[in-house]
Amino acid sequence: MARHFDHMFKLLIIGDSGVGKSSLLIRFSDDTFSGSYITTIGVDFKIRTVEINGLRVKLQIWDTAGQERFRTITSTYYRGTHGVIIVYDVTNGDSFANVRRWLEEIQNNCDVVNKVLVGNKNDDPDRKVVITEDAQRFARQMDIELFETSAKDNINVEDMFLSITRQVLDHKLRTASDEQQKDRIIIKQNKNKGKSNKCCS
Amino acid sequence: MERGSNYPNGADASAAAVPVKTTLSIVQERFKADETVHLIFEAYQIKGQEHIEGLLALVSSASGGTYAIISFSVLRTPLTASNDLKINKVFPINASFKLTTDSKASKTEQQFDLCTDDDRPTKYYYYSMRTDPLAVDFNEFCAKVNTCKKTMWDAELPSEAALNFRWLDDYREIGEVKHELKKRESEYIIYKDVIVYCATWNVNNKPCWDNKNTLRPWLASGKRAPDIYAIGLQELENTARAMLNGNQMQMFATQWVRKMLENLHDDMEYEELQSVRLSGIMLTIFVRKNLRQHIVRCRVNSVARGVFNTLGNKGGVAVSFQLNEASMCFVNSHLAAHMGNVAERNEDYKAIDDYMRFEENGPQVRTINDHDHIFWLGDLNYRIQEPNGQQRPGPMSDAQTFELMLQYDQLRTEMSYERCFKGYTEGEIKFAPTYKYDVGTDTYDTGEKQRAPAYCDRVLWKGKLIEQLEYNGVMEIRESDHKPVYAIFRVKIKTRDDDKYRKVLAEVLKAVDKRENDSQPQITTDRLNIEFGVVRFNEPAIRDFNVSNDCPQQVDFKFKVKDSHNDICEKWLHVDPRADSLMIDSARSIRVRALIDANSVTGLLKMICTAVDKCVLDILILHVRSGRDIFITVTGEYQPSCFGLSMETLCRTERPIGEYTLDEVKQLMLDVTPVYRVPMPREYFLLIDYLHNQRGQLFQSYDRRQPLSSQFNAVRDWLDSWSNDPFPGTPQTAAEALLLLLDLPEQALLEPFVDDLLASRSKADAERYIDLLSDPKRNVFKHLCLFLCEGVERGDYDANNVATIFGRILLRSSKCNVTIDYHSRCNEFMQRFIRIENPDTVSGGNGHGGASLQT
Repeated sequence: MARHFDHMFKLLIIGDSGVGKSSLLIRFSDDTFSGSYITTIGVDFKIRTVEINGLRVKLQIWDTAGQERFRTITSTYYRGTHGVIIVYDVTNGDSFANVRRWLEEIQNNCDVVNKVLVGNKNDDPDRKVVITEDAQRFARQMDIELFETSAKDNINVEDMFLSITRQVLDHKLRTASDEQQKDRIIIKQNKNKGKSNKCCS
Repeated sequence: MERGSNYPNGADASAAAVPVKTTLSIVQERFKADETVHLIFEAYQIKGQEHIEGLLALVSSASGGTYAIISFSVLRTPLTASNDLKINKVFPINASFKLTTDSKASKTEQQFDLCTDDDRPTKYYYYSMRTDPLAVDFNEFCAKVNTCKKTMWDAELPSEAALNFRWLDDYREIGEVKHELKKRESEYIIYKDVIVYCATWNVNNKPCWDNKNTLRPWLASGKRAPDIYAIGLQELENTARAMLNGNQMQMFATQWVRKMLENLHDDMEYEELQSVRLSGIMLTIFVRKNLRQHIVRCRVNSVARGVFNTLGNKGGVAVSFQLNEASMCFVNSHLAAHMGNVAERNEDYKAIDDYMRFEENGPQVRTINDHDHIFWLGDLNYRIQEPNGQQRPGPMSDAQTFELMLQYDQLRTEMSYERCFKGYTEGEIKFAPTYKYDVGTDTYDTGEKQRAPAYCDRVLWKGKLIEQLEYNGVMEIRESDHKPVYAIFRVKIKTRDDDKYRKVLAEVLKAVDKRENDSQPQITTDRLNIEFGVVRFNEPAIRDFNVSNDCPQQVDFKFKVKDSHNDICEKWLHVDPRADSLMIDSARSIRVRALIDANSVTGLLKMICTAVDKCVLDILILHVRSGRDIFITVTGEYQPSCFGLSMETLCRTERPIGEYTLDEVKQLMLDVTPVYRVPMPREYFLLIDYLHNQRGQLFQSYDRRQPLSSQFNAVRDWLDSWSNDPFPGTPQTAAEALLLLLDLPEQALLEPFVDDLLASRSKADAERYIDLLSDPKRNVFKHLCLFLCEGVERGDYDANNVATIFGRILLRSSKCNVTIDYHSRCNEFMQRFIRIENPDTVSGGNGHGGASLQT
């Protein structure tokens, strides 16, 4: 049966409670925003299909509960994840400080994973406490791309999701071609072996 | 559509749309403009125990001229938008379509089957009461479907090939995105002019190198350089010779292709897209070089006619491809010859039209008529059948002569009776008949047969947006007994505006995704936090909560097994049910039972020591199939009790354990300093003291998994409060409590030295290790042995029995390296300590225990 998509990736959104993980997801999947805050008690997912370089990529995006007490449970959802979106709240310094812990969490639970750092709620300069330069410096240090977004005002959300998707897609295409290359080398080696065997006999 | 137009009540139903959206109009929204929903019938399906509400729509397509039943499931009732409808099956009403009423139908459940193609029948049920006033009842439904099937199949039908069900592809499951895109085509489709140059020539078996002259008058006419050339040749080479030497034949063909390519319009560079040859009939498509990249799905095929319909001296070849968004088909045919064979020519045409197939992806095929733009050229061989004795009315101009002759043209006659080339158009002919000439001249046949001049060589077209610019014969090419013919067309090719398309596609994908997100199964729970309050040892507590399904489909849920403990919940909890299904609009309660007992207390205490939040007893993961996970936190405050605490912890207490908070107990448990307030736990002392004064065989058996006696909880409270009241239970309860106190702590009393003690050969040997135990453990051990020893001596306890029971508890090892003689060695070890052989050895120690036993 023909598929609607060329690739399917699982993305995971993590970060402290209340930084706007669900809002980012709903902005991306439904293009809506609700001002009322409902804590995610569990793990939710939405799908969205995007076109990147003519390839249709279906994303399954998992939104996790950020509360401390669920940390052990949510860590089990990292399995099979292609990309992780780490979110902090630019109006909340603690949430930015905790990014390190979330990065450790990724390190402990995933093998190779593509990441993007997101400073959400970037829509009110008066309330902003995590300044862009600091976040940028940290992101560079950690070798992650930084996006400052606002799910409320729909700033940078689409770009951010497309960026992580592109990263995952590039990674996959690169590893796929690496593997092909490997196969080719193996075939070559086998051929050589065959020859040398002949010479010996 | 002609076939469908006499269908009763056809468009009336949909035309009756009122301002308020009716179900029918909502259903209609799911279809394209040229597709009509004739009726809807409410039917449901049963999957498992669930009823899936659905609608069957009888739909016809004007472009396909056919009917089908589309089965929808209704995601939301009442229906408010076409998004609430999900297509789950498509039944083309073709020859194999069947609607079977099930004879097993009962009064309450009436059922029927729909079946089409090779699929197994699909069962549908219906209610005798309709909910939608516009829906039809079952008899009406059957009648209409049957009428419609009859209308289509009783009409004179050439063959099944004539029925076009391709429009249904857009509604099959895989086509949701495709279908939405098709519906919005007008938003991103533009039309681009393409010049198509069709040419045909019967070359009369002349190899092309005989032809030194240019082909340009035939192939390079017209001002504008064409985008596409379709050049058909017939009688490329004598068939008999060709059959003898296929390679030679191919060489001729290649030569011809090269020659033609050299003679195309000068202003443009061309390349060969495809050539297809059946014996001497060849069709070559040349395209403008930079047009090539826009062409996909190029396919060729041929249909052989002529001798035994297989030889291929007559027949047709065709090339099909897609240019941008338009499908194009070119056919070159050489039909049966000779004046009298009109019927044979018609037959040949029909055979080519019917049997020409182009492969698609998968099992699908395209027919000639599935294309947007069709060009049919060739030596069709229709002649001019002038009545005998026809007289020319004096001298006439060429145009007048041609007009007169064309009145008797067999092709025009046959087409007017729809006996061939139905739906095709031919431009005005303003050139001389192309057959039959003396080779090298412009003179009609002077040979023996004196064949009448005829318009054998023609170009016809079918499809929209085609405009003929030129149609001509070429007199100055004289190498054959036929004159070549060409026709130039301007075709408006459906093309995608990529920017607009990307925008529409993004929107469509989003809408389709939204539909998928919205139809995600959902359940709601009335509680995310199950609060047990104070939980006490050996006292079960029960909490119920509700889960309900308010999404429009059945939902399966289960509690997820957590990796950490290989079960859905901790040992002290029990969840029932662990999994279930919820019908639409239904709810059920889930029971959570908490019991901290002999089997789970150690684990709980361990968790309390490590957990961040001591009150979280567990977190359950409620998983909805194909949906989200909900975390349900179970909280409760454990009321500390002496059961399960280590002897060291109990020796650190300064007041009854029942007066400690959980936090304080946690601190006590985490304390590892060897500083104790009492030599042995008061709880042990109190129990042994009581038991010491009881007579009879008290220790008969022990099994941690057995339920505890009814008085146990009273004994628990008595111990946890250091009560001065008389012992609240029977001696058996006291014995039970003592064994549990000894057995429950994570570490067994003698565990640090289990291996050494089992290996020891004498009591003295063993005592060296006993002396190394922590004070509380050593004292409990000595006191206990003294107590048992006295009981054995008194004759109340059977030494062997007591040694077995206590040996196993005291020498319990978490290391699991149990040897075959483990039990007998435990017994042996204990016997050394409870048999009075040399009383001094036991009581001679420095324990307070021995002394206090007499109180």
